[in-house]
Amino acid sequence: MFTHYLDLSWRSFKRTPVVSFLMVLAIAIGVGVTMTSLSVYHMMSMDPIPEKSNQLFHPQLQTVDEGVKLWTKDGMPRQMTYQDAVNLMNAPIPERKTASVKTGFSVHLDASTVKPFSSAARLVNRQFFEIFNLEFINGATWSENDDLNASPVIVIDDYLNNKLFGGGNNVGKSINLDDGQYQIVGIIKTWDIHIKFYDLNNGAFQKPEHIYMPFSLVAARELDNWGNTNGWKFEPSNTFQDKLNSERFWVQFWAELPDEQAKQRYGEYLMAYMQEQQKLGRFNRDELVYKLNNVEDWMEFFSVVSKDNKVLVALSFMFLAVCLANILGLLLAKFLRRAPEVGVRRALGASKRQVFYQHVVEVSLLGFLGGTLGIVISQLGLWGVRATHSVYTNLATMDATMLFASPVIAIVSCIIAGLYPAWIVCRTTPAIYLKSQ
Amino acid sequence: MLEIKPIINAMLRSKVGAILLLIQIAITTAIVSNAAFIISDRLTYLKQDTGYHEQALFTFNVMTFGRDVNIDQQIELDEAMLRQIPGVIDASLMQTIPLSGSGSASGFGEKPEPEEGKRVRASYMFGDEHALNTLGVKLSEGRNFSDDEIVVHGSDGKQTAPSVVIASKAFTDEMFPEGNGLGKTIYMEDKPVQIIGIVERMAGAWLRDSKPFNVLIIPLVKTDTIQDFVVRTAPGQRAQVMAQIEDKMQALYDKRVVREIEGFDLLKSKYNAKDTLMLRMLVVLIVVLVLVTALGVFGLTLFNISKRTKQIGTRRALGARKSAIIRYFLVENALISVSGLVIGSVAAYLLGQQLMKVFSLPALPLSFIVFTALSVLAMSLLSVLAPAKRAADISPSIATRSI
Repeated sequence: MFTHYLDLSWRSFKRTPVVSFLMVLAIAIGVGVTMTSLSVYHMMSMDPIPEKSNQLFHPQLQTVDEGVKLWTKDGMPRQMTYQDAVNLMNAPIPERKTASVKTGFSVHLDASTVKPFSSAARLVNRQFFEIFNLEFINGATWSENDDLNASPVIVIDDYLNNKLFGGGNNVGKSINLDDGQYQIVGIIKTWDIHIKFYDLNNGAFQKPEHIYMPFSLVAARELDNWGNTNGWKFEPSNTFQDKLNSERFWVQFWAELPDEQAKQRYGEYLMAYMQEQQKLGRFNRDELVYKLNNVEDWMEFFSVVSKDNKVLVALSFMFLAVCLANILGLLLAKFLRRAPEVGVRRALGASKRQVFYQHVVEVSLLGFLGGTLGIVISQLGLWGVRATHSVYTNLATMDATMLFASPVIAIVSCIIAGLYPAWIVCRTTPAIYLKSQ
Repeated sequence: MLEIKPIINAMLRSKVGAILLLIQIAITTAIVSNAAFIISDRLTYLKQDTGYHEQALFTFNVMTFGRDVNIDQQIELDEAMLRQIPGVIDASLMQTIPLSGSGSASGFGEKPEPEEGKRVRASYMFGDEHALNTLGVKLSEGRNFSDDEIVVHGSDGKQTAPSVVIASKAFTDEMFPEGNGLGKTIYMEDKPVQIIGIVERMAGAWLRDSKPFNVLIIPLVKTDTIQDFVVRTAPGQRAQVMAQIEDKMQALYDKRVVREIEGFDLLKSKYNAKDTLMLRMLVVLIVVLVLVTALGVFGLTLFNISKRTKQIGTRRALGARKSAIIRYFLVENALISVSGLVIGSVAAYLLGQQLMKVFSLPALPLSFIVFTALSVLAMSLLSVLAPAKRAADISPSIATRSI
């Protein structure tokens, strides 16, 4: 019966090609516009590390003095002081945790045809790769001793490996970063994320760094912070040591807390830590506050999905509603025109339900065609978004979910629009039309 | 005269079509007026005068890894070379590139830290006596730095504090509302500096800052392994100068990386990418929305006409003129549209209230609603015209034929 109805729908489509085409076009434009903004929204709000996003936490410690107001959303620092990060990294719990800071170097080889270039690098401890599920192609992370001794060792990604050596296993070789020589101990697969969730301080859609090295090198080599540094009180800062001892925020920190229990224990630990620090004269506050943000909280805190995107999605759905009202009107017109024919079918024994079903199939077909054409339109829209700026290259794309969602949204909305016309037409009283023939 | 009563009666007999049209027109009005307002807000922001001739300025970054030169001297050589390139007006080492979205800002006050007192936030950049000419900004009061006022924090590690500063007018107006900021002393942290010059208008590092035009130029040169240069060229000369920068710099000394050679206009568009995207998407949204609504009006009128062919024929047979038929549909549409516009204007206002909560926008001005409403009405009547003309052409004989 379904194929028969499809056949009827197709005949009906061909009988009024202009109106049918207009309807398909209206739904296609509606879906196209909606899917364009929804795709960008979807890519921005997508969980970047679904297998672990609930176990990775960025702690925030309220270090500012009582009465000082920070400019952040929750009034708490977005990063940590160097001393807190180091203390928490040396803490007994949890098992996996890392401080993290962005820096950068000019990269050059002693004898090479590769032109010197600059590259950002990340200072972390050896567990960083395990925490963020980074896969090694060659070698492995550096040793605990390297972390302790600030050894000049690095892990690079495949992208840099190709750029420097044209690929291959280059573990054991050394490269020059500024005026220092560093030995490669591991090569990881290039980190393919489009939201840099582990460091959102300098824009959410930046690319991950290509070089990783022990965090202890910060102090040992007085490496510059390439990220943000924020202060809240006047502190003289003449030497690098001043910066390390200061209350300025410039270090990120991630802890892996596998379950609720671990999270609670860590929370208690942080509280105890702050109390201990209070005795040393820091944390001049009445109430000690900390926060543990998982990946999703962290992205929300940094407004990865901007207000613009949210407004655009809302406006697009309102636009879709206009398209639906449009289609509803056209469907009503089309179906009612056919009332005499339906009258005859009813007189010949078709039940109301069958007539209703037939028309629902017809609108679904329109929805399907509209949805398919809508994908084409939204691809055009996404191309336009990508053309606006290179930042959107990886964001303005459709993944499988969105590709599948297009016809589904189109069909569902068409059915919603078609219910009333189908209901009206199935109530046709056969007698009137038989009389007038 | 306008036969409003019979039109309303006819409408009441087929309510659904009229209601659908009304909904479309209402939502269209609500969306278009708000979108147009956001567009005008963003356009004002994007088109604002930054104080710079962005097409003539560019910046680039140098990372030196070689340790066999004295960086202080190298910078002097670099600047001299840059200033000699044909087409270059001036060039200068600078810290914090305007419009780039990254830089430094701080509160500058009337009292030294940590004393309490009035503080005004400003984005600040370090530059020498060439900074003003390189950026191409004009002093409205006071004078430029003299050579001996420039403090160099060089490789010798000595760090003296600068004693003077050049401020933007926006900053001095906020710091000294009673006027006459020239010659006054302000404090950078605990160090006093005297304002010796006031720049009419110049933007700092962040255009989205709450005080984008509060800027200070501090006469300080910090020699470091990472350096930013700014170059201003004669009109139309920028592209060819930019193309040779890397080679010329490398020819002078090659143990360094020259990167991020970017025009100020590009820096600005990168920083504003989000706003440009919003602008474009809203324009597309408005255009297709109006088209779709016009299409809806057109289709619905066509349908109404086909349903009423017989009645129209009868009216024509009874002596109605063609113009009366056209008028009938125009008045019918106008009635629906006006009701839709009234509802739409209220919806526009309510939507505007919601958007105010999301963005820091002022309230939606009435002019936007009125202008949108009039445009939508015109668009709706225009879409009716063609089908109505067709209706007028229905032959009176139709009325008799099919009975």
